[in-house]
Amino acid sequence: MILDPILDVFRGKAVTIPPLDGAFRPNTRLDDLPAFAELAEPDNLLAADGRLLVSSGNAILAVAAGSEPIVVETFQSSVTALALSPAGELTVGLESGKLLIAGKEVSLPAGIRCITALAHAEDGTLWLANGSSEHAPSQWAADLMKKGASGSLWARPAGGDFRKAADGIAFPYGLYPADGDVVVSESWRHQLVRFSATGNRATVLTHLPGYPSRLAPASDGGAWLTLFAPRNRLIEFVLQETHYRQDMIDQVPPAYWIAPALASNRSFLEPLQCGGIRTMGIHKPWSPSRSYGLVVRLDRDMQPQFSLHSRANGTRHGICSVAEKDGRLFVGSKGGDCVLALDAITGGF
Amino acid sequence: MTFRERLQAWRYNLVPDHLVGEILTKRWTDNAIPFLALVATLGVFGSIIPGFFKLTSLQESTRQLGEFSLVVIGMTVVMLGGGIDLSVGSIFALSCFSAVYVFFILEQSIWLALAAALAAGLVFGAINGYLVGYLRLRAFLTTLVTFIFGRALFDILVTAYAADVQLSQASSDVLDFIGDGTFWGLSVSVWLAIILAIVTHIALTRSRPGWHVLAVGGSRRSAHNAGIRVRRTVFMTYVFSGFCASIGGFLIACRLSGAGPGTGLNLEIMALTAAVVGGVSLGGGRGSVVKGLMGAIIVLTMTNGLIRLGYGTGTNQMVLGILLAVAVTIDIRWLKNRHKVLNEVYVAPVYLKMGETQSAAPGSGTSYELDNRLSAADHIGLGELEGPEDVILDRDDHLYCGTRHGEIVRFFAPDYKRSEVFAHIGGFPLGLAFDRDGNLISCVGAMGLYSVSPDRDVKRLSAETARSWTSIADDARLRDPNDCDIAPDGRIYFTDSTKRYDAHDWALDSIENRATGRLLVYDPKDGSTKTLLDGYRYTNGVCMAHDGKSLFFAESWACRVHRYWLEGPKAGTAECVIRDMPGYPDNINRASDGNYWMAWLGMRTPSFDLSLRHPDMRKRMTRRLPQDEWLFPNINTGGVVKFNEKGGIVETLGDLSGNAHPMVTSMREHKGYLFVGGILNNRIGRYKIEGADPNWTSPASYWGGKP
Repeated sequence: MILDPILDVFRGKAVTIPPLDGAFRPNTRLDDLPAFAELAEPDNLLAADGRLLVSSGNAILAVAAGSEPIVVETFQSSVTALALSPAGELTVGLESGKLLIAGKEVSLPAGIRCITALAHAEDGTLWLANGSSEHAPSQWAADLMKKGASGSLWARPAGGDFRKAADGIAFPYGLYPADGDVVVSESWRHQLVRFSATGNRATVLTHLPGYPSRLAPASDGGAWLTLFAPRNRLIEFVLQETHYRQDMIDQVPPAYWIAPALASNRSFLEPLQCGGIRTMGIHKPWSPSRSYGLVVRLDRDMQPQFSLHSRANGTRHGICSVAEKDGRLFVGSKGGDCVLALDAITGGF
Repeated sequence: MTFRERLQAWRYNLVPDHLVGEILTKRWTDNAIPFLALVATLGVFGSIIPGFFKLTSLQESTRQLGEFSLVVIGMTVVMLGGGIDLSVGSIFALSCFSAVYVFFILEQSIWLALAAALAAGLVFGAINGYLVGYLRLRAFLTTLVTFIFGRALFDILVTAYAADVQLSQASSDVLDFIGDGTFWGLSVSVWLAIILAIVTHIALTRSRPGWHVLAVGGSRRSAHNAGIRVRRTVFMTYVFSGFCASIGGFLIACRLSGAGPGTGLNLEIMALTAAVVGGVSLGGGRGSVVKGLMGAIIVLTMTNGLIRLGYGTGTNQMVLGILLAVAVTIDIRWLKNRHKVLNEVYVAPVYLKMGETQSAAPGSGTSYELDNRLSAADHIGLGELEGPEDVILDRDDHLYCGTRHGEIVRFFAPDYKRSEVFAHIGGFPLGLAFDRDGNLISCVGAMGLYSVSPDRDVKRLSAETARSWTSIADDARLRDPNDCDIAPDGRIYFTDSTKRYDAHDWALDSIENRATGRLLVYDPKDGSTKTLLDGYRYTNGVCMAHDGKSLFFAESWACRVHRYWLEGPKAGTAECVIRDMPGYPDNINRASDGNYWMAWLGMRTPSFDLSLRHPDMRKRMTRRLPQDEWLFPNINTGGVVKFNEKGGIVETLGDLSGNAHPMVTSMREHKGYLFVGGILNNRIGRYKIEGADPNWTSPASYWGGKP
């Protein structure tokens, strides 16, 4: 109606989010499988030397079928990013803001304190995503609820030093090098952006139904995108509510904020939305939720092909990283404390 | 408290926003806009035109108004039947000419002239009705055709006979009286309009044919399916419209003693505008004669007023057109959006700062600490039951509960595997209690207080209380009767949780948090219901104290338990005995050890408590998000709390796994077991209580041993 713009001033616009449809049509594939390995909060997954490496807290573990995870290396603080150089050196980013390559600390420019993702390009460039200039990686929720957009992208050419390629990014959380450029998942803006080494940006995929996290190469040239939490209309509404949001940040413990989460329904102090009420023993899978499990397959043009889900009533939530190895897809569910292995990773809509 | 918060508290607790929603639920708001338009029109023209309300001026205006109103009444009926009649102007003119011709040229009696006028109107009405009703042509085009045809015929006839009429010597006292006389101060045309309006109003609202018209206009298909003869009904509306127009035509013939080219010109537009401005819906089925009349007064006042202010015909038509456009827009937008507006404005949150509470988290070491004991309960009726809000056991150990299907189900002792529908109530049975004679008393959501005898005779005890003086919504009605208990003298004390929401929307009341809960008493001796206390935030469980001298009742959204004294020095007053609990209390019942069991239907969350201090945020939330997305208190986790006579907490049981008893709305101790129910659950739990008296039963505690 033509009067809508005028009336909106009085009644406020409806808060909407993209629907889970098309390539994002829900299924329960992540909940159907037994866990491949169980370990606390698996964050980064990496296939290296024929092994599957998983970061969990301060440690990097090697996970294999039928055996307990073996600790490969432990660090002073949590591992927040993991990558493998073409030469086979393990590149590790830590919560404390340190970067280690093959065990040796690399000096970083002052601006880097929140390493959320690392990626080596084929030409030898090391890309580094600095999620926020104000918060450590574990304080991502605070960065989102304060509407942070202070992330930056850094590149280190082979044999050179780190240079800032771009800044003003709302929490870059995943990197995927492609033809000298890099595709970055910009979490708080729900989009994938392609950056060149000189900082030119072009959005590749927008209006994602969740907060994108890490990207991993797929075997036939595309990529795997993980979305660590779903978009939620109440959360987006709270993001527009200045006073309530400020009071919440000041007075409510972060675990009980109205904010995205890696796992939810663990405490009765967490917020509950009407649709999430358990009725007659049923928790509706389509109900609004603060956490969700979602892995998306992107084609070479970074367009979504199909997706794997753990819905609101599932437990394999908070997927931050996946790795494809020998035709199998390994999925790390940080909110579900397990690693999954999928054999037939095909699909479509 | 910051200044902003204080301001919020004032703004949302002192300004009665909720009244807007309550007014909008009233049917009479449909009349409000045309009525305001009427008052405004009369006010404006009355003040800028000197002598507008003078008697002589009014006399002439009302004479015109009488004729016009007759036409509008006909138009209103056609529109109520789902049609439109554009030919009223030409029928009016032709009837006028018929009367004039018979009286002045044929020099027949005035009564024959009236008959001729009526005949002309009925014939044209019948043509319209036949084409639209029986042949099912489009009403708009068909009546446009009859309008053009009738008008052309009238023009030809008027030109041919105008001179003869002028020369005619015919005269009649009756004609003069009808044209100029008054009866008790009002002209004949006004009297006729009043009589016809009353008759039509009664016919539309209280007679079978009238209801048929409204039904056909409301939904042709449904009316047909209901067995109404749709075609005949439509036919009759047009005939009636023709009849009304012809009386109008006869009256103007008497008043002007002739017919001219201007007779009835643009009348159809005026009548249509009047009906629509009055609020008669173009879609059919909605409207009334009174609305039509209001519209008639508005339109006539405007046109006459404009003429007297010196504006010409063009301006007049323009104003009419604008008026029609505005009215049609309002009509359509209002119809389409009324429920949306209501949805948007109905929830009117208030400010509340909840008190600091002790933690109920496991490991916190408080007496409220929740555990996982209830998850070990056996289940009864799993998968068969839906929504056992309250559970109760009789002297023979049989178990009763309400279900959301509107039934009271009985499970048979000793194993509770077999069940039967004990009684069908229809509403959602919530609180249950047995009286001295073994009648099962139940609070039925949205219905009232009911009694089911051991022979399954369902009887309504109470459905209303005295209405408060300042209420807009009808608060005499019991909207959400929730729990009841019976005093030793047989009086039934029960709660009505909210005046604002129906029983199935109970959780919405927590968003609004307005204090409208009541405590009531029903006296079986004289069948009366009295309101004892009002203004609590969702009154819920009621339980008679062990000595029968006071009762406990829960105030859910404020997380408090109060004690109401029936006798003693504090009789008739309530005092708060437990405050600032970490959970929302529901039903309360007696325990075997002299303490009391209380159910928690949900838990407070920091984010929801904070939102209670931000009523503006909750208001916007209800307007900008669909209900499924709204922030609720956490009613996925509940528990059972035992407290003593003084309000001290003894222990707390919970099901933190959330698998068996995520929320608890009731519990009843019986022979060493605790039976647990939940309004959103699909089972009743049976939990063995450590160290409880294995012989204690609730009926014996209330009414003594077996008779």
